[in-house]
Amino acid sequence: MEGILDVPKPRITCGMLSQYIGRPVCFVGRVEKVHPTGKTFTVSDGEGKIATVELVCVLDEELSGVVEVVGMVSNKGAIMASTYNVLREDKGIPFDLELYAEALKVIHEFPQHYPFEVAASG
Amino acid sequence: MTKLSEGAIEALSNGTGGNDAVLQLVNIRKIDGGSGLPRFRVMMSDGLHTLSSFMLSTQLNFMAEENRLAPNCVCILKKHVTNILKDKRRVVIILEMEVIKSAEDVAGRIGEPTPYTEGNGSQQRVLQSSSLGHRNKGFNRDFGKKAPSAMPSTPGDNSKVVPIASLNPYQSKWTIRARVTNKSSIRTWSNSRGDGKLFSMEIVDESGEIRVTGFNQEVDKFFSLVEVGKVYYVSKGSLKIANKQYTSVKNDYEMTLNGESSIIPCEDDCDVPVMQCDFVSIGDLENREKDAIVDVIGVCKSVDEVTRLTTKSNREVSKRTLNLMDMSGKLVTVTLWGEEAEKFEASGQPIVAIKGAKLSDFGGRSLSASFSSTLMINPDIPEAYKLRGWYDKEGHAMDGQSLTEVKGSGGGLTNWKTLSDVKTEHLGHGDKADYYTCIATIVYLRKENCLYQACPSQECNKKVVDQHNGMFRCEKCDKEFPNFKYRLILSANIADYADNQWVTCFQESAEAILGQNAAYLGQLKDSNEAAFDEVFQQANFNTFVFRSRVKLETYNDESRIKATVMDVKPVDHKDYSKRLIMNIRKLAAQ
Repeated sequence: MEGILDVPKPRITCGMLSQYIGRPVCFVGRVEKVHPTGKTFTVSDGEGKIATVELVCVLDEELSGVVEVVGMVSNKGAIMASTYNVLREDKGIPFDLELYAEALKVIHEFPQHYPFEVAASG
Repeated sequence: MTKLSEGAIEALSNGTGGNDAVLQLVNIRKIDGGSGLPRFRVMMSDGLHTLSSFMLSTQLNFMAEENRLAPNCVCILKKHVTNILKDKRRVVIILEMEVIKSAEDVAGRIGEPTPYTEGNGSQQRVLQSSSLGHRNKGFNRDFGKKAPSAMPSTPGDNSKVVPIASLNPYQSKWTIRARVTNKSSIRTWSNSRGDGKLFSMEIVDESGEIRVTGFNQEVDKFFSLVEVGKVYYVSKGSLKIANKQYTSVKNDYEMTLNGESSIIPCEDDCDVPVMQCDFVSIGDLENREKDAIVDVIGVCKSVDEVTRLTTKSNREVSKRTLNLMDMSGKLVTVTLWGEEAEKFEASGQPIVAIKGAKLSDFGGRSLSASFSSTLMINPDIPEAYKLRGWYDKEGHAMDGQSLTEVKGSGGGLTNWKTLSDVKTEHLGHGDKADYYTCIATIVYLRKENCLYQACPSQECNKKVVDQHNGMFRCEKCDKEFPNFKYRLILSANIADYADNQWVTCFQESAEAILGQNAAYLGQLKDSNEAAFDEVFQQANFNTFVFRSRVKLETYNDESRIKATVMDVKPVDHKDYSKRLIMNIRKLAAQ
C-alpha cells in the first residue's frame, strides 16, 4: 500500500467509482455510519450518494464530519482505505461538500486542463 | 353661494361618515309605503356627486308634506343611519335634517354633480342612446349634469363598458371599468414655462392595461379619489400614442385625464383582474438588453440595510438592495429607492413581484425599481403561489447563482477583473476613475519610505515639517506640535496569473497587509531594523482580495495609470470557487 502515496490519485465522487475500479483514488465525503466492528464505514459525497470505505486497521476513535480517504477502489465499488484524514469542522471555514462536488465535475469535464499526473521533477 | 360638503355623498354611500353634511336636495319622490304610510325618496347632492338612495324616515314625512323639501333647497343632515339591503345596495335613512336654505333662496344646482355609482348591476340602466360613439350629445350632457326628475332609481353609469384594448384616440365617448394597479405620487415641476403637477397610474381590465396621467386640476380632482387595488369606471380621457420609454405597460396608447374625464368607483370588481404582468425568468435577464423594462417575480432571499446617499444634485436619497431568486436558480440584485426602500418589510423571505423594473448591466445584470415600477409583496397571484411552493420544497436549499456580481457580504457592486484586464480594457482612461476588484498575490513590498510623519490632529493626515527644534509644523492646521503620528503609504507590486501591477496602499490597507499598525512599525524602524524587515518578509506572497481605484494621471507631460488600493480583504475561498466555476461554465458554453 505504500506505493499508493507516490501515484496520482484522482479526486472522485460516488458516480465515478465504477470507472476507477482497481485504481487509487482520493475521496472526500461526510461520514454517515460507522460499522460496529470499526472496520468499515459509509460516506456520502456532495451529491448525496453513498460509498463504503473499508479499513485495514480498526478505527480507534469515533469518526464524524467530513473526511478525506485515499485508497484503491475494489471490485465491489468500495474504497479500500490506505489512509484517511478528518477535515475538522471546528477550525477554519467549514468544508462545503456541494461546492467540492461542483468543482470535481469541472475537473473531470475538462481533463485537458486538469491532468492527473505526477509532475516531473528535476 | 352656500358651500356643500363635498365628499359627503361618497362617505354616506360607503357608510364612512357624512354627519352634519351640507347637501342640496335634488329631487324628492313619494313612494307608497307597505304599511299605508307614504315614504319619501330623495336624491341629494354634495356638489360633487348625487345619490338617490336616501329615504326620509317617517317622522320626517311632515317636512315633505309641508313642502319644505323642494328641489334645490340646501339642508344639513343631522342624523342618519345607513342600511344595507339584501342585494348589497346601501340606503341612507335620514333621521334628522334641517333646511338651512329654502329652494327659493338658492339659484339652482350647486356645482356639477355626477351620479355616484354604487356599482350594482341591476341598477344600471343601459341607455340605448348612449353607446360608444353615438352622436346624441345633447342627451348625454343632460344626463350627466341634471338628473331628470323621474330619475332617482338609476344612479348607475351612463354608457356601456368597453374593453381597454379597444381604446383609441379616434373615439371619445367611452367608459371603461378597470382596476388601478399602480399609482405614482404627485410630482411637481417648475420650468421657464411655469409650474405644474402630475400623477400617473396604470389600470387594467380583462382585455389589457393602459397608463393614465392627470395634470394640475385633474390631480386635485382625482388623486385622492383613486386607490390602488380598487376598481373604477373611467370615461372621457384623451388618448394619444404611448411613450414607451418609461413604462412597461403594453398598450400603444396612453390616456390623459382632462376636464371632461370622470372616475367613479365601482363596487362590482370580481371580474377585473388584479394585475397584468408578463414575468421574465431571472435566468433570462442575461439575454435582455440593458435599460429594458421588465416584470419579475421571485423569492426575496436576502435584503440589505437601508443606506442613504447624496446625489450629484445634493439631494439625499434612501436606497436598499435585495436579492431575488426564482425557479431558474438564478439570483439578481434589485435596488429600491426612496420611500419604497425605507418601507420595505423583508421578514420571512417574502415573494416579491416588481412590475416595470429597469434592467441594468451594473455588476453584470441588476434591476432597479424606478418611480414608475410597482412593488408587490406576497401578491395574490398564481405565480406567487407556485414560487412559494417551489421555494419551500427545494429552493430554500439552493444558493442560487447571482447575475449581479456582489462581493462577499453583499455590499457594493463589484467588478471582478484580472490584472491584465486593467490594461487591455484601459481602465482609468476615462474622465472618472474606475473601480474594480481582483484577487492577487503580493510579490514585492517597498519598505523604504513607507512611513511618513503626519499631523497628530485627529482629522488631519498632512505631512508635518520637522522644525528641528523638537517641534513639527502642520501647514494645513497652521499649528506646531511637539509630536507626530506615523502613517503608512505603502508601494507594492501585486500579481495574478495574467499580469502584475504597482499599487499604492494607504494606512488601513497597508496595516491590513503588513499585519501591524503604523505606530508600531514606526517604532520598529527606529529601534529594531531586523524586526522591521521581518514584518515585510512575512507579508510577502500573501494573497488577498483587493478593491482598487485606477486613474490616468498626468504629471509634467507624462501620463501614467495610478492604482490605489481602497480595501483589502482575505480571500473568501467559497465565493472565489463559486465564481470560478461560474466563469468556467460560461466560457465552456461559448
